[in-house]
Amino acid sequence: MIHRLTRRGLLRGTAAAGSAALLGSVAGTRLWAQEPEKPAELIVRAWGGSWVEALKAGVSDPFTKATGIAVRHDLTEDNEIQPKVWAAAAQGRVPPIHINWDTTTNATKSALRGVTEDLSGLPNLAATTDLAKPVGLDGYPIVNTYGYVYVLAYRPEVFPDGPPKSWDVLLEPRFKGRIALYNDGIGFHFPAQVAGGGSLEDIPGNMQPAWDFIAKVKEQQPLLGEDPDFTAWFQNGEIDLACTISTNAREAKKNGVDIAWTVPEEGCKFDTDGLWIPKGLPENELYWAKQYINFAITPEAQQVWLDGLGLPGVVPGLTPPADLANDPSYPTKPEDFEHLIRISAQVQVENESDWFAKFKEIMQG
Amino acid sequence: MSSFRYPLRWRLMDALERAADLLWPERLSRFTGWLMIAPALLLVGLLVLGLAEMADGSLRTLDRATFLPSEELSLANYETALGSATYWRVFGRSILGATLATALTLALAFPYAYALVRVPGAVTRKALLVVLFLPFFIGQVVRAYGWLIILGNGGMVNEALGLVGIAPQRLLFNFPAVVFGLVQYLLPFAVLMLAPALTAIPAETETAARSLGASWVRTIWHVVLPMARPGLIGAGLVTMTLALTDFATPAMLGGGSQDFIANAIYDQFFRTADQGLGSALALMLVAAGSAIVALVLGLFGAGTLAMGARR
Repeated sequence: MIHRLTRRGLLRGTAAAGSAALLGSVAGTRLWAQEPEKPAELIVRAWGGSWVEALKAGVSDPFTKATGIAVRHDLTEDNEIQPKVWAAAAQGRVPPIHINWDTTTNATKSALRGVTEDLSGLPNLAATTDLAKPVGLDGYPIVNTYGYVYVLAYRPEVFPDGPPKSWDVLLEPRFKGRIALYNDGIGFHFPAQVAGGGSLEDIPGNMQPAWDFIAKVKEQQPLLGEDPDFTAWFQNGEIDLACTISTNAREAKKNGVDIAWTVPEEGCKFDTDGLWIPKGLPENELYWAKQYINFAITPEAQQVWLDGLGLPGVVPGLTPPADLANDPSYPTKPEDFEHLIRISAQVQVENESDWFAKFKEIMQG
Repeated sequence: MSSFRYPLRWRLMDALERAADLLWPERLSRFTGWLMIAPALLLVGLLVLGLAEMADGSLRTLDRATFLPSEELSLANYETALGSATYWRVFGRSILGATLATALTLALAFPYAYALVRVPGAVTRKALLVVLFLPFFIGQVVRAYGWLIILGNGGMVNEALGLVGIAPQRLLFNFPAVVFGLVQYLLPFAVLMLAPALTAIPAETETAARSLGASWVRTIWHVVLPMARPGLIGAGLVTMTLALTDFATPAMLGGGSQDFIANAIYDQFFRTADQGLGSALALMLVAAGSAIVALVLGLFGAGTLAMGARR
């Protein structure tokens, strides 16, 4: 199933913006008649570096200021916290975190397993765009909080005539050993499907064009890594090209690395991250965890948080950071989404293991 | 009335002995040996329980509609693992990498341990020990990052090559880089295991060989090395098992394309949430490691790990 963001969805979010103003602050938002006891702290799992700094500035610190509840960020990787949360739920224990900042795909797995609390009642959801709603799931076991794009990041000095126009550039002999992908291929499968001559409509039924293209990329001896690796590799001059989340490329640029990014003609994968609450929390902690997420989708929290990440949010009317105005990795208008590929989390969850295994099979050869 | 009093230390020991007798009466003395190994048995027992749990998990497949393990038991995960060319390749790479790393580590550890034992000056010996122990204080991950800095495209080695007109070389993110990182990680373990074995060889043995006309090289080859065999076997077993199960070095120095089996297990547990397949791979790794150790023990004995027994 393929989703291209629609004008109607964006307009619906805009129409709801007025009510968001009424629900914009934590103090003004009450789910219960009487506030339950405040916990000493809320533990929010987060990604490190600029990711957690942005969350802290936009959501956690203002939340603490408004409620007096300290927020501790647990920087355990999202993939590693998942089995711990699942084990806690299976054993009837209190989960190790209050809120999980997670990829929508991973969060969907937890929702399917039944370990997520329902967040449908959050008042501020009324003011969000379609993007906030997880596709293929009932209700809101997850609240998507922003979208992001797996761009083609490049070193401008090796492209004096302008940015590369196609993912085919990865196959140029001069870049042998100087390209990088995520080590599970995430973000690259779908553009590879198009670059390999296939169709997005064939996903997941026939992805042979993607595998053929990835096999050619393998011949270029790509480096395979995680988010922090890309920044380090660009900084250390190891690579000239990478398929990575625009946030990482922007972070490298902020660190003084000469780097730019583009959305090639075949398109780039657009996906979402979200916040969710594991089951098993005491009632009062659950209440305040919901308040945290409710606050995270207010315009003021989103503006600061997502300025830090350089990503488009789920409430209308946010102002893009100055350096990202009209940037293809920061879509704001329907036409901006024409070259972005969005596959439902459900399809991704059902097939991710197979895609991952196939990517490994090619890359470990 | 005598004013004689036993020394304080004696009285303390007597008190301790009386307390011990209360806690563990004399009649239980035949079980004292079991008492002493009870903590170790408890730890091993917990390990066995964990393995049993993993064995159960390995027989359950992942239902991708609910992300729960199946109720029914099957060998599907083992079939998946054994039927996958990728896992065979990764297993093969793990065994080859561990074997190469062990051989190179022993080759480098032997002269270091020999120097450590035979060097006459105390200051030099202490300096060698400090150099040996420093990596322990740093940790494996930081050490691997150190290699990223030293061997990277813009690293010290490539800068030095640049001075003589050689273009930057890709020294990282390949199989040799992984083996190199493993050797550096394993070297202190091997030296520490070899040193006691070499200490047990009297220096007079070498003097005797030299006095009978053997060169230093022949003395090492025909006298010291055979006598150090128990230490070499013990060190080899430890380094082999550490290398075979290593995660960090292939992950950091392999550039994502040189996975060992521990990396594949991690992927299943933490990336695809398929704990059943991860458990199956983990148990297969335990089986492979055990088989290799059993083979070495069968061929060469347990070396210093035999603790003085003949085999």
